[in-house]
Amino acid sequence: MESASNHHSQAPSLAAEEPASSSSVPAGSFSLYRVAVAWFYRLAIEQRVLAGFSLVFVGILIVSAVSYGHIKILLANRGLDGRSQELIQLLNNIDVAMNEAEDTHRRYLVTGEASYLEAYKQVVKQKPTFTAYLNDLIRESPEQQQRAGLLDRMMDRQLNAESKAIAQFQEGGFRAVKKMAFEGAGKHELGVIHKIIAEMDVHERQAVSWRVVESSAGTKTTVVLLGIGALLQLVLLAWVYYLIRHDLRERRRVAGELQRRGELLEAANKELEAFSYSVSHDLRAPLRHIDGYAALLRKAVEESLNDKAARYLQTISDSAKQMGQLIDDLLVFSRMGRQEMLHTPVNLDQLIKNILSDLRLDLQGREISWTIAVLPEVQGDPAMLRQVFMNLITNAVKFTSTRPMATIEIGVQHPSSTEIVLFVRDNGVGFDMQYAPKLFGVFQRLHRADEFEGTGIGLANVRRIVHRHGGRTWAESVPDKGATFYVLLPTRRRDS
Amino acid sequence: MTAVKPILLAEDNPRDAELALAAMEAEHISDKVVLCHDGAEVLDYLYCRGQFKSRLKGNPAVVFLDLKMPKVNGLEVLRTIKTDVNLRPIPVVMLTSSREERDLAESYALGANAYVVKPVEFHKFLSAVKELGSFWGVINEPPPENCRSTH
Repeated sequence: MESASNHHSQAPSLAAEEPASSSSVPAGSFSLYRVAVAWFYRLAIEQRVLAGFSLVFVGILIVSAVSYGHIKILLANRGLDGRSQELIQLLNNIDVAMNEAEDTHRRYLVTGEASYLEAYKQVVKQKPTFTAYLNDLIRESPEQQQRAGLLDRMMDRQLNAESKAIAQFQEGGFRAVKKMAFEGAGKHELGVIHKIIAEMDVHERQAVSWRVVESSAGTKTTVVLLGIGALLQLVLLAWVYYLIRHDLRERRRVAGELQRRGELLEAANKELEAFSYSVSHDLRAPLRHIDGYAALLRKAVEESLNDKAARYLQTISDSAKQMGQLIDDLLVFSRMGRQEMLHTPVNLDQLIKNILSDLRLDLQGREISWTIAVLPEVQGDPAMLRQVFMNLITNAVKFTSTRPMATIEIGVQHPSSTEIVLFVRDNGVGFDMQYAPKLFGVFQRLHRADEFEGTGIGLANVRRIVHRHGGRTWAESVPDKGATFYVLLPTRRRDS
Repeated sequence: MTAVKPILLAEDNPRDAELALAAMEAEHISDKVVLCHDGAEVLDYLYCRGQFKSRLKGNPAVVFLDLKMPKVNGLEVLRTIKTDVNLRPIPVVMLTSSREERDLAESYALGANAYVVKPVEFHKFLSAVKELGSFWGVINEPPPENCRSTH
């Protein structure tokens, strides 16, 4: 997608470069080439392959067009050759017929034999057929048409002269046509006819031989062109193959790398699990001992214990307990990250009710006004979501402890078809919005330990669980006025 | 009822053992406690072998088992006890620092009678051990001995 936009942005710079470098042609074409190469390397693999295949396609089109054109010329020439052969044959026939006319009319004039007259009349009868056939064969050649016109006129003149001689013979006998009988009435015309026919014949034979030369030259060019085209297409196809293969290899390499990293990550996760398991056991034991021996010590020296010493012992115990709490919270946090998640409908109304009933004892002696909206059903892990709202509600209870009358509101905002936003609002001490980014971090506390107790892991758990559900968390506050914590949950399942 | 049955405490950590004994002392049941330092010792005691060759016959009233122990761990000891016809009636209480689900699940699957997570706070640990000791060592009626045949 990026390369496509590059493609567009490249176009103006290409146009801008052209006039600047047009003063010297080689430099200009070189920079154009460079720009083209630069453009090409910015294309995505799909576009490069497409470009390659397009070039091959264009090459095939060109080669096909050239071959088609050449074959068309060859076919046309073959048709013309056939026509030329017919024409040559016809000219020969006309030549023979006109000789025959001259010969038979003379024999008739000399002998008066009717069979010669019949033969002569046969030729006269054939003449229009010859003319029509001839005109048809040469209809595409003006030069030959001109000659044919002359030929036609000469043939008419010869036949007219001969017919006139025959008529005179029939009226006045041999004596009237004696001279003509020996010389032939249309002798002169016949000579011209022979000449014209010879010219036409030569012309046609030349045309045939010229077409042979043209066809063979065309064939040679076409073969060379086809060869070059095939070579170019082979090169292009090889290049496209290289591109695809290169891309596939790259993809395979990346996939292998991803898998390797995934395995490393899995190994690291297993190690982490073993680590946290070990932490939960091995760190707890010394804490138990510290607290235990402090208690035993207190008991052993009970009589002589002054206030100061008693406070020291108390601090030792408190510190051990605090660290125990930290370890427990961290373990819960780590478990929330790797535990298998359920995806079932969770009735938030019931969930909140259960939490408040569990907190009953902690809420004794507190004045809290609860506003709880009707909450929807969501998809998720019931135990994890319970942890989320338990943390948010205990936070709200904790940070309103300095208020004579605490108000805590639990509600829904902007319910839509794809997500819902739940919130827990209190009128507690709040926090400075500049620290909001730190709020959901592990071990991040915005209040001193002597103000509000806590290990600073509750909201980190909230965020981790909500993230695993495909949601988001954020918070708003005005210091000393209260805070609102938001939880956005997608209504459709999304795998974490 | 013959002599009071002993309480078998399997605990490899001497400090944990001392704290547990201190807790039982307050309940005046510490003299009933037999301390084993690893799983192998527990099995030696139950099968009257090794250093316990010449002990008085009879099963303990209860076995408190730590999970993580050298040589033979708690789960292996539990498995041995619950697969031996003669030892199976002995109540076994897992006493451990682990709250891991798989440890809980496996212990109960093998037939543990109770599972107690050692609290970090000593006073809670104290009360837990006291209650366990008095319940299993005094209040609870142990199984009759007739199911154990002599060697």
